[in-house]
Amino acid sequence: MNSEKKEDLRELFERFSDSETAEKAAEEVRRGEQVLGDHPAPEPDEALVAGIKLEIGARLSHGRRSSARRVVWEAVAAAAVVIVLIAIGSSLFRTDNRSPGLVQASIIPRAVWESDDIATDDLDLASFKTEIEHIEDQVRMLQSGENGKNGDIAVEELEMELAEINSDFWKG
Amino acid sequence: MARGDDLAQIIAGCKSGDAACFSEVVDAYASRCYGYFYRLTGNKDISDDLLSELFVKLVEKIKTYKGGSFESWLFRIASNIFHDHLRHKQRQRKLLDSQVKQLGSETTESRASDSDRIDRLQVKVARLDADTRELILLRFYSQLSFKEIAAMRGEPIGTTLSKLHRGLKRLREMME
Repeated sequence: MNSEKKEDLRELFERFSDSETAEKAAEEVRRGEQVLGDHPAPEPDEALVAGIKLEIGARLSHGRRSSARRVVWEAVAAAAVVIVLIAIGSSLFRTDNRSPGLVQASIIPRAVWESDDIATDDLDLASFKTEIEHIEDQVRMLQSGENGKNGDIAVEELEMELAEINSDFWKG
Repeated sequence: MARGDDLAQIIAGCKSGDAACFSEVVDAYASRCYGYFYRLTGNKDISDDLLSELFVKLVEKIKTYKGGSFESWLFRIASNIFHDHLRHKQRQRKLLDSQVKQLGSETTESRASDSDRIDRLQVKVARLDADTRELILLRFYSQLSFKEIAAMRGEPIGTTLSKLHRGLKRLREMME
């Protein structure tokens, strides 16, 4: 069993003792190990060795499955990250594009915008539109002096009326 | 037994998950590792379990093997497994105080149920102190050099030489 040991025992022992003592110690080690060699331990059962090999095969197979599963999960995780990034990018892009639309929407009163009563909202909008047209006509008349009033006072009255309408408009 | 380049190829195969290469390692080392466990425990069933555990650990840890003496690496794992087994038994012994003698004698004396399978050497080996017994068996079954064993045990080579010399001398005297 120990034939493969390349060490020179005597040389090793000579590092720590004189040559004669080293020779004796090396011989005692050889004889002691010979005792072990003369009384071999039992061999493992063939069934045990076969079982170990089967277990190793099963573990390797399981390891490969786990690796494959890990690769799939990593791919899924990577895909999820890409999707999230795309969604975020798209959201940002969409926000930029829609900003003019939001400005336009803000012109319409919130109460009208959020209301589900379309018929009433249409009436309100028609009413506002009529009033605005009426005011526009008055402005034109004032600017041209057709009604015979003092233009400055009339414009102030008109501005107040406009402010009032604007206030009512935003209240919805 | 595979040597040099052959062993390197087998280990490389193991690292890549080749079951055939693991089988070769098992064929090459099962006998020596089993002898090591059996002489340490004196119990065939426990040796069976420890040998199985060793090769399962081998599969788990083969990628951590970075070269050098494979025997040294393998028997270091074997030694750790044996010590884990001892610690487990010690915990059991504390829990099952009534069975102290039976459990405590497991690694030093043969169980009565195993007596028919125990040879004379096993009885004498069991009478050595635990450290010397492990050193002698590690040296014999691993076939490691004194330098490797000293490095593995973290002690000067002179200490390893001295302990082994005294232990083997005593063992031979007991056997005569």
